[in-house]
Amino acid sequence: MSNTVFEMNGTTLTVKPVGELNSMTTPDFEEELRTHLSGVSNLIVDFENVDYISSAGIRLFLGLNQTLKNRGAEMKLIHVSDPIMSIFDLIGFQDVVTVE
Amino acid sequence: MVQSREENGRLIISLSGEIDSSNAQEVETRIYEIRQQYPDDSIELDCDRLEYASSAGLRVLLRLIQQTDEVILTNVHSEMYEILDVTGFTEMTEVRRAYRVISVEGCELIGMGANGMVYRIDPDTIVKVYRNPDALPEIHRERELARLAFIAGVPTAIPYDVVRIAGGGYGTVFEKLTARSFAKLLAYDDKPLDEVVQMSIDLLKLIHSKVIRSDTLPDMKAVALDWADFLKDYLPAELHEKLHALIAAVPADEHLMHGDYHVKNIMYQNNEILLIDMDTLCHGHPVFELASIYNAYVGFGLIDPDCTMKFLGLSAETCYTFWRRSLELYLGTQDAAVIDSVEEKAMIIGLARIMRHQIRRDGMNREDGRKMIETCRSILAQLLPRTDSLVF
Repeated sequence: MSNTVFEMNGTTLTVKPVGELNSMTTPDFEEELRTHLSGVSNLIVDFENVDYISSAGIRLFLGLNQTLKNRGAEMKLIHVSDPIMSIFDLIGFQDVVTVE
Repeated sequence: MVQSREENGRLIISLSGEIDSSNAQEVETRIYEIRQQYPDDSIELDCDRLEYASSAGLRVLLRLIQQTDEVILTNVHSEMYEILDVTGFTEMTEVRRAYRVISVEGCELIGMGANGMVYRIDPDTIVKVYRNPDALPEIHRERELARLAFIAGVPTAIPYDVVRIAGGGYGTVFEKLTARSFAKLLAYDDKPLDEVVQMSIDLLKLIHSKVIRSDTLPDMKAVALDWADFLKDYLPAELHEKLHALIAAVPADEHLMHGDYHVKNIMYQNNEILLIDMDTLCHGHPVFELASIYNAYVGFGLIDPDCTMKFLGLSAETCYTFWRRSLELYLGTQDAAVIDSVEEKAMIIGLARIMRHQIRRDGMNREDGRKMIETCRSILAQLLPRTDSLVF
């Protein structure tokens, strides 16, 4: 996930991961993401370049969503591809996390 | 174009072909004729063979939904589903998609369980196929439990969709894990026992911290009360009453529990700990979870020391050590008196369960069954009189 792009605009952080979010890649991505999170009130995760997401990746966003909510911040996922969206639909992910 | 049958108070109307302005009137008349024969039935519109519905066709469906208490649409294929979704039908009533059909022919068989087989269908997914062709409600129930747990943040494989298996039966597609069970980690000495116990208790505490409100999730206390009721004719009256009273006094608890938490259901993958087999998920006080853990590691092996080797691939000694270390870590104490006391509480529920299980499996008519039932009864006779509460 070394290609991940982070862009801070005020207190809005936009992050754009690349490739697969699986159990091999997610821990590094999470570690990198967490170093950028202080002071963020609005996290936007751009899925444009995400090809695949496993349970490890989904669990990261479920956890992040909770962490951010607890401190009054927000998170949303954007540009989610149809195949990943259909996984989100199947598991009812949007009941918990904002997806646009 | 319109066919029907009646099943247990439900009128199933199958639609086929195209419904447009040329035949909508005829279809509607036919549906109302059928309905008059079963005015009290709920209606299921089976859309498996419905190819297309124009706006005239949709109006027929709309009027039917508005005039009938309960109408559901089933076996709706993708294109038709899109139309129903865009036009708002999916908000008005329950619209169930058609099952995806998959074939397991030529797929690698990677597991066999009590309820069926597990095949790998591609590098990222497996399908759990159920042996019993009538298992569909149970499949949906297990899949829904797994989904609720997953969304609540319990680490488990993604439960994708319920599918129809070409050639018969149904199954659930799950994310494929490249994981090793904790049982294997221990059997091959991959990790020291203490570390494995620690990981399993960390995950157990995470599960027990979750609350999921859903009718799908059984209340373990109610289940345990049923066990106690069952044993009425097999225990002396004062023991039965004590057992019942002890369980009845356990406070209601909304916290999640796994229900079958042992080293074969906990998996290790790239430093991640994951849980499988979610069909036993329920809620209740942790003493009920400890009871089922006691049974897996100790209880079922009481009269057969080879039992844990057959079931978990681990010796009775290893399992007993694992159980006692689990209690220490779960309770956060090394005080033997405290651990013994909680162990006894878990034993009471666990052994009541095993006793019922043996009796129901015709154990009274088998030598080993009778021995097990007698062992449970005599331990319960020792423990029940000296126990004041199952809570810790």
